[in-house]
Amino acid sequence: MLNTILPILLFAALALAVLGALRRFRMWRRGRPAQVDWLGGLLKMPRRYLVDLHHVVERDKYMSRTHVATAGGFVLAALLAILVHGFGLRSQLLGYALLAATALMLTGAIFVLKRRLNPPSRLSKGPWMRLPKSLLMFSGSFFVATLPVAGILPEGFGGWLLAVLLAVGVAWGVSELFFGMTWGGPMKHAFAGALHLAWHRRPERFGGGRSTGLKALDLSDPSAPLGVEKPSDFTWNQLLGFDACVQCGKCEAMCPAFAAGQPLNPKKLIQDMVIGLAGGNDAKFAGSPYPGKPLGEHSGGPHLPIVSLDGKALVDAETLWSCTTCRACVEECPMMIEHVDAIVDMRRHLTLEKGATPNKGAEVLENLIATDNPGGFAPGGRLNWAADLNLPLMSEKKQADVLFWVGDGAFDMRNQRTLRAFVKILRAARVDFAVLGLEERDSGDVARRLGDEATFQSLARRNIATLSRYRFKRIVSCDPHSFHVLKNEYGALGGHYEVLHHTTFIDELVRQGALRLGRSKADSVTYHDPCYLGRYNGEYQAPRNVLKALGIEVREMQRSGFRSRCCGGGGGAPITDIPGKQRIPDMRMADIKETGAALVAVGCPQCTAMLEGVVAPRPEIKDIAELVAEVLIEGAEAPASQPAARREAAEVH
Amino acid sequence: MTDLNIVALVSIGAHPASGRARRAEQDARAVELGLRLAGKRLRVLHAGNPREEALRSYLGMGLDELAVLEQPAGADALPALADYLADAGAQLVLTGSQAETGEGSGMLPFLLAERLGWPLVVGLAEVEKVEDGSAQVLQALPRGQRRRLRVRLPFVASVDSAAPGARQSAFGPARRGRIEAHEVAVVEDQLLAASTLQPARPRPKRLKVIKAKTGAERMKAATAKAAGGTGQVLKDVSPQAGAEAIFKLLLDEGVLR
Repeated sequence: MLNTILPILLFAALALAVLGALRRFRMWRRGRPAQVDWLGGLLKMPRRYLVDLHHVVERDKYMSRTHVATAGGFVLAALLAILVHGFGLRSQLLGYALLAATALMLTGAIFVLKRRLNPPSRLSKGPWMRLPKSLLMFSGSFFVATLPVAGILPEGFGGWLLAVLLAVGVAWGVSELFFGMTWGGPMKHAFAGALHLAWHRRPERFGGGRSTGLKALDLSDPSAPLGVEKPSDFTWNQLLGFDACVQCGKCEAMCPAFAAGQPLNPKKLIQDMVIGLAGGNDAKFAGSPYPGKPLGEHSGGPHLPIVSLDGKALVDAETLWSCTTCRACVEECPMMIEHVDAIVDMRRHLTLEKGATPNKGAEVLENLIATDNPGGFAPGGRLNWAADLNLPLMSEKKQADVLFWVGDGAFDMRNQRTLRAFVKILRAARVDFAVLGLEERDSGDVARRLGDEATFQSLARRNIATLSRYRFKRIVSCDPHSFHVLKNEYGALGGHYEVLHHTTFIDELVRQGALRLGRSKADSVTYHDPCYLGRYNGEYQAPRNVLKALGIEVREMQRSGFRSRCCGGGGGAPITDIPGKQRIPDMRMADIKETGAALVAVGCPQCTAMLEGVVAPRPEIKDIAELVAEVLIEGAEAPASQPAARREAAEVH
Repeated sequence: MTDLNIVALVSIGAHPASGRARRAEQDARAVELGLRLAGKRLRVLHAGNPREEALRSYLGMGLDELAVLEQPAGADALPALADYLADAGAQLVLTGSQAETGEGSGMLPFLLAERLGWPLVVGLAEVEKVEDGSAQVLQALPRGQRRRLRVRLPFVASVDSAAPGARQSAFGPARRGRIEAHEVAVVEDQLLAASTLQPARPRPKRLKVIKAKTGAERMKAATAKAAGGTGQVLKDVSPQAGAEAIFKLLLDEGVLR
């Protein structure tokens, strides 16, 4: 009896799966067109899955092994089951292979079940609680049904009772694992995820690459939408990416805004986009809601606005403005979903079309337009911090080895101390450098992250025009935000430069022996990784090397390196200032205090400002440039160039 | 929202720190007030160069179009505006109090109201209601005070920093909005042509000597009027007597000689 039922079940489920896949594919294609490498992407997909994605999953060893067993077992078992039970190739060898595959899957499924016994809050419940049972059903039923094929049990063992039980088990299993995959069940992540890897919007991320710069809007085409108003305004492969979400909540666990009780949960946001893609409301969402926003009140559809400024739609505007663009969610996401791109896309619509940048946003953007700096300071005062330093100007020198990009910190009295310290270092190392002085403008970072692509492009194009008049080998900046934008986002507008963060540059000077350094008196020091230096640009080591050269032993925070927690200062978050239950910098200061350090070394004016805004008593905050300048031994000839110390590759957690 | 026929007059501003052209702060407030009253039906009018990019930042507030009476720099805006408004069927004309560029004399609303023969409300803060051909409005007075006025339509009103702040100007509507240039007879501004301009000097402020000992006294001193001490209130006097008193004061203060 089973021999007739099983093929029917298998092929019916497969047929339904194909139908579902076509339906889902048409849903994604409601999005705007995107350039993808159709065939090449598909061919590269297995490698992206087995290598790049596995690297991310491997951070959680338990889940990685469980997933290898379950998914690997399932793929094998499914293929073999189609051969053995679908086409009736009842060879003993295939039978044993299928037994091994289902046993592997069964083992994995048991660990999935174990994880689900007392699941952490970041995991979604609902249908996801059913999944381990479905996995057990699938693997268990096929295991038992295959025993006769392998000759372990006699044909017809167990009579019709077992046959009915197995038929039910297989029906349950293939419903979840075959057509549930394309009709929106938990297994959708495997189907959409595989295609998402194939047609990812940032293919440069695979194979060890990095792609973090925001994509430019085409402002020359007046008919192109300015950002994303409706789900169908996303590119189709973005929609596909949202659908790949496995609701593991790793993003939620890392999101600083969520932890601060601001109304953002990256996982929920992606699920809301899935709701937008398919139509419906969020009542059935089985994970943590946005803090302070009950489920069931928001709904949307592919052609309905995502944000309504006077009522409720799919997502509230303050959810989008809570993001600090720290990229912790993207870094953690095992499905390599691009949360920040989506958020900025939606912000672009709010700013460029609706003029609805909250709180101080409008004022800052207006200042950037009128004065090229966010504070609205007179542009003529940009070099006042260096009035006594007699800095070499590019407009006079025309060329230099290093162009020192000062950034808008020039207007901030705290950051001026850092800038002056860095100038001291440059002079001590006899670096041939120059500044743009009054010709420099804001890099456009804040404007772009507040969604004002027009102001960003205007600033960027004028900066690029200025830079093109001078000859220099490299740009060095004390501001990771300017550094990132100059390095990764000016390229699309025609500005290609070699850009270094000042800590990278100091590290290089130290290794060349161009600096004579004493030992720092600071004894207990921790280091806070800026998001735009670390996660955005992968520079975790140079700042630590510099601190080591000063004789400082860094007491690492639990969340450091690629898991560093944001200071709360990125993405214009201090400007839009969405209220939460606590402040992000306070949480970061708690991380710092946990190490017992009396001083925290930083490398970013934003981080400095945010952390210094935490009330005392708290550890002191100093930029690495300040720490270096303090112990600089000046005057004497620089010692003869020593062989460069080997740069150790250190693991950063 | 009322179905009032409202026209807001706008000029080109200059950012105080950079001097770069922008929407004028007060004029943007006039547009904001107009948008709150009439929504998209608000008409916005500028006299000057229709190709000035800064005009687009008014459109960015959510306007579909902006009318420009095309004039070269140095032309007198007053006759053109008055002629246009007289024929436009406007019931309420909103302006800023003082331009940020050009003469910036702050005289335009007064001269315009005079020429049109309409009443002028300065420091308009809010239009409360419009009925039976007149409007009930709140006028802003110093130190947060408000005066409720009933004004017959049509009238001219100027706004200052007491009016609601202007909404953000967005790139999309600014780029899409139409600027419609109208040809008008150019009248040269004789007064401007004949005079020389020089940068204004801020008027010196009367020093306030604070002798307060306690916080409460300091608060009182900070919020009190800068007292001249010599003012007098004339009540129930004939217009003739009132005018004579004012005339005498102006003579005493050396304003009239």
